[in-house]
Amino acid sequence: MENTSSDIRQLNEKIHQASAFVDLLNMELGKVIVGQKYMVERLLIGLLAQGHVLLEGVPGLAKTLSIKSLSSAINGKFSRIQFTPDLLPADVIGTMIYNQQRNEFMVRRGPIFANFILADEINRAPAKVQSALLEAMQERQITIGDSTFKLDEPFLVLATQNPIEQEGTYMLPEAQVDRFMLKVVIGYPTKEEERHIIRQNLNPQATPEIRPVIQPSDIMEARKLVREVYMDEKIEKYIIDIVFATRNPEDYKLQKLKPLIAYGGSPRASINLALAAKAYAFMKRRGYVIPEDVRSICFDVMRHRVGLTYEAEAENVTSENILSEILNAVEVP
Amino acid sequence: MYRQKIIIRLLLCLLPGLILPGTLLAQTAPEVHAGVDTTNIRIGEQVKLRLTATIPAAQFKDIRLGFPVLPDSLDHFEVVSRSSIDTSGDDQLKVLGQTFVLTSFDSGHWEIPAARFEVLQSNSALADTLFTLPVGIDVGTVAVDTTKAFKPIKSVVSAPWRIWDYWMEITGGMLLVLIIIGIIWFLRTRKKSVPEVPTPTVTPYELATQQLKALKAEKVWESGDIKGYYTRLTDILRTYFEHQFGIAALEQTSEELLQNIKPVTKLNQQRDKLRSILSVADLAKFAKLQPSADEHLSSMQKAEEILEWTRPKSEETSGEGVVTQEA
Repeated sequence: MENTSSDIRQLNEKIHQASAFVDLLNMELGKVIVGQKYMVERLLIGLLAQGHVLLEGVPGLAKTLSIKSLSSAINGKFSRIQFTPDLLPADVIGTMIYNQQRNEFMVRRGPIFANFILADEINRAPAKVQSALLEAMQERQITIGDSTFKLDEPFLVLATQNPIEQEGTYMLPEAQVDRFMLKVVIGYPTKEEERHIIRQNLNPQATPEIRPVIQPSDIMEARKLVREVYMDEKIEKYIIDIVFATRNPEDYKLQKLKPLIAYGGSPRASINLALAAKAYAFMKRRGYVIPEDVRSICFDVMRHRVGLTYEAEAENVTSENILSEILNAVEVP
Repeated sequence: MYRQKIIIRLLLCLLPGLILPGTLLAQTAPEVHAGVDTTNIRIGEQVKLRLTATIPAAQFKDIRLGFPVLPDSLDHFEVVSRSSIDTSGDDQLKVLGQTFVLTSFDSGHWEIPAARFEVLQSNSALADTLFTLPVGIDVGTVAVDTTKAFKPIKSVVSAPWRIWDYWMEITGGMLLVLIIIGIIWFLRTRKKSVPEVPTPTVTPYELATQQLKALKAEKVWESGDIKGYYTRLTDILRTYFEHQFGIAALEQTSEELLQNIKPVTKLNQQRDKLRSILSVADLAKFAKLQPSADEHLSSMQKAEEILEWTRPKSEETSGEGVVTQEA
């Protein structure tokens, strides 16, 4: 059914009211997390758009604190899994153990049964463990023995990768990286932010406690509204143009990018770009998507979906460089 | 008397028999010879040894002559080079010769040994061997004053500069200059031959004004195509900014455009008007907003005001701002 002008106006008002919790959340998280607004914003996009987030950044950038605080603010269950080379799939999803008293096998649920999972240094575990986690992310259910368990909703996985110390790691294959809605690269805080961080940490009494400001059910309601955010066909065309430009750059007068791109974004990229744009619009308390929304989240949705050739790597061309070229060439509606 | 006559006649008959064999032998046997250009050299100097074989012309075709094969090193002599066998002569005699350049590094009197020639008759299996006479060479030494210090090796002496040493480069350069002159001449004459068609050009300002007038006259919003109206309106402005100020406005979002006009002071002064147009346009384009007719006209008026405000004073002088009619 096509939306009319009044429908969109109503939707806009509805979303304007429903999205008020975003400011509340930001305020609550801002109590303990100094800087890293970008990362927190992306975590919320992942949460609202039902996607997962792959985070790349050096240690000590408040990744754990962010997701733990988010979990507390939403009154969700948080679980952290430190990925190591000797980790087994059962350590993540759970296993069957024998109960001598009852003389039967019982299911011992793994740490994945939580609302917020921090999969720390996911690339340190072997492929079978990564695969188990990524399958759970996709299916949102776990099968242990003969029993299948639905995972708690909301379910958000924040996986981290360390860009340094690549020795002894198992890089995520492209097909698995594609399952993450966003790949966020985080940097260091500013001088001012760092000063706040020092002061806050040196005075533990001043560190406030995060209190729940919303419930998981509110997130589920918000997710429904995110899906309803109006996306005009012009925006759809813009998204498709961006994704197609990663596949066939020569069609967008970007012949020079052709030898640098091994493969472009998949249809999953288009879906995720559209969903994330809707979530971003929701967070900006709008009931419709504008080109700014697409551009704002484009890098995070696309950077891990553009494969680089050896030539690009030899020339130190990154996927961000390619995406910048594409965004500067594709006409904005 | 009669007996005397008979004896004389017998002697006369025998005389040719005594003389002719020697003469005939002298005519048929080849002669070989070894000669040098000097018999006195100093250590390291070179001497030319010439080996020749003289054959009567009549026998030349019937005789196969094997020249001596000198090794690279003779006793006290080294062969520096050797020529190929050459042939000369006239109708009577043919001379075959080969020249060897020899040198010696041993002082004293040395002999170049006798060279051996093989002579074969082609119509018989007879073989003969001829030898040259050995040749004596005096190799003198050089007096070295050991009391004096060693002198350094002389540096490379550059040859005197001559213009003819560079004739190839000079000729090549002249040819290149001629070719370049030829190409320039060709291009100039060709350009002249093509009649220049004056292309009608309009400035970005004129183009935008024309398009705005056309949009206004069409009253697109009356037909209900509000989205189309605002799309065209913003596209006209974005294209104008792109051509007039070099801002890639067509590839920028509204917010980016408002940020990027900051360096262009004249345009930045109209920022609020532009923001107002872009905001309404975004709502109309992406949120199906239906602004009132007054708002349509207001947006149009603001767009015209922006154009007027940013109109360049001397459009003729700005080559960049000129666009073709097709644009």
